Amino acid sequence: MGWLSSFATIFPLNNLGHYLHWHFLLISRSNLIVTILMVATFLAALFLPFPGRRSRKENQ
Amino acid sequence: MSTKRFRPDVDAPEYKGGYSPYDIIKEGTIAIGVIFLLTLLLAILFGSPDEHAITIKTWSNAAPIDFATTATSELNGTSTTGGYGAPYNNASDGPALGPIHVAHLIGVRIPINTVKDFVIDPLKSLPNQPVLDQNLAMWASASTSTRSTWIANYTKASANMKFTDGHVVVNATDAGPVPVMVDSLTQMARSGALDQALVTGSGFYTTDFTKPLLFVSDGTYLADLATKQHLSGDQWGMMNETGSYPGQAWLWLYSFWYQIPPFNTSGNADILILGIMLLLSVGLLLLPFIPGLRSIPRRTRVYRIIWREHYQNLK
Repeated sequence: MGWLSSFATIFPLNNLGHYLHWHFLLISRSNLIVTILMVATFLAALFLPFPGRRSRKENQ
Repeated sequence: MSTKRFRPDVDAPEYKGGYSPYDIIKEGTIAIGVIFLLTLLLAILFGSPDEHAITIKTWSNAAPIDFATTATSELNGTSTTGGYGAPYNNASDGPALGPIHVAHLIGVRIPINTVKDFVIDPLKSLPNQPVLDQNLAMWASASTSTRSTWIANYTKASANMKFTDGHVVVNATDAGPVPVMVDSLTQMARSGALDQALVTGSGFYTTDFTKPLLFVSDGTYLADLATKQHLSGDQWGMMNETGSYPGQAWLWLYSFWYQIPPFNTSGNADILILGIMLLLSVGLLLLPFIPGLRSIPRRTRVYRIIWREHYQNLK
């Protein structure tokens, strides 16, 4: 499983994290990335068309 | 006969449009399958945090003076556990929600006498220690005031505590058996025997780690490690994970209160914030019954974005 250990070298998550500090707000970079991904998923769910809509339209 | 007035935030208009089949079981199965595969893939690629457990052995070897200073605080009653109150002792009132002292309602359910449980009893369990046994006998036969004097003298001198050649050295006068007790406890801790002595004794299965965890948390070693990893309460620590792993981002609101006045300076913050979060949770549960708030989805019209095709067809 050598490729797994080389992947861990690219993303070494056991090292101390990076934190963004602004006034009393303190957030880790990884938490910020996850939060952005969650918001992006929510927006995608809102604005992307339902899967299968085109085929339904064609059938109509 | 009067017609009942239509209330837009409570009543649903009768739907007169068309219907189309929708397989929610199929969608749920696909969603769970995708989540399962994503979880598996991310676990294979990134693994999970693998911090070694902090034991009394690791602590006392890494920071023997901090351990011996904490052992002294267990003797003189100034440790966090010693002054905690319920459920461990009656040393303080504990957190209060208005006039209600919540800890009092629970009572002393896990009685801990820091002198006896953290120092004397573990030392008694050490075999073949004639010098220590003599000192423990001296402790046992002394009056309460004599013990207090010994501890006070040792505590005063421990400001200049040193750790030399594997021993705790404190130049204390009239401290009775306390220097031998603290040094022996430190030796015991460094060997790993204190971890065992504090865990065992609570039944056949040794799964009760209350005492060693409390002892470790009374020192500054664990707190320093937590601060380094951004896990302290004033660092939004509830949301964070060790290393660079993403943490519990969904606890942002719970963590938020700890960062602002008056909670960030209150000794009562835990119970106050628990109360606020309980209130907010009840509010969320009762949202359909709260006028104004229950109209937010109708007024923001986000549903019209989701079902935009349907509303376009209506035009």
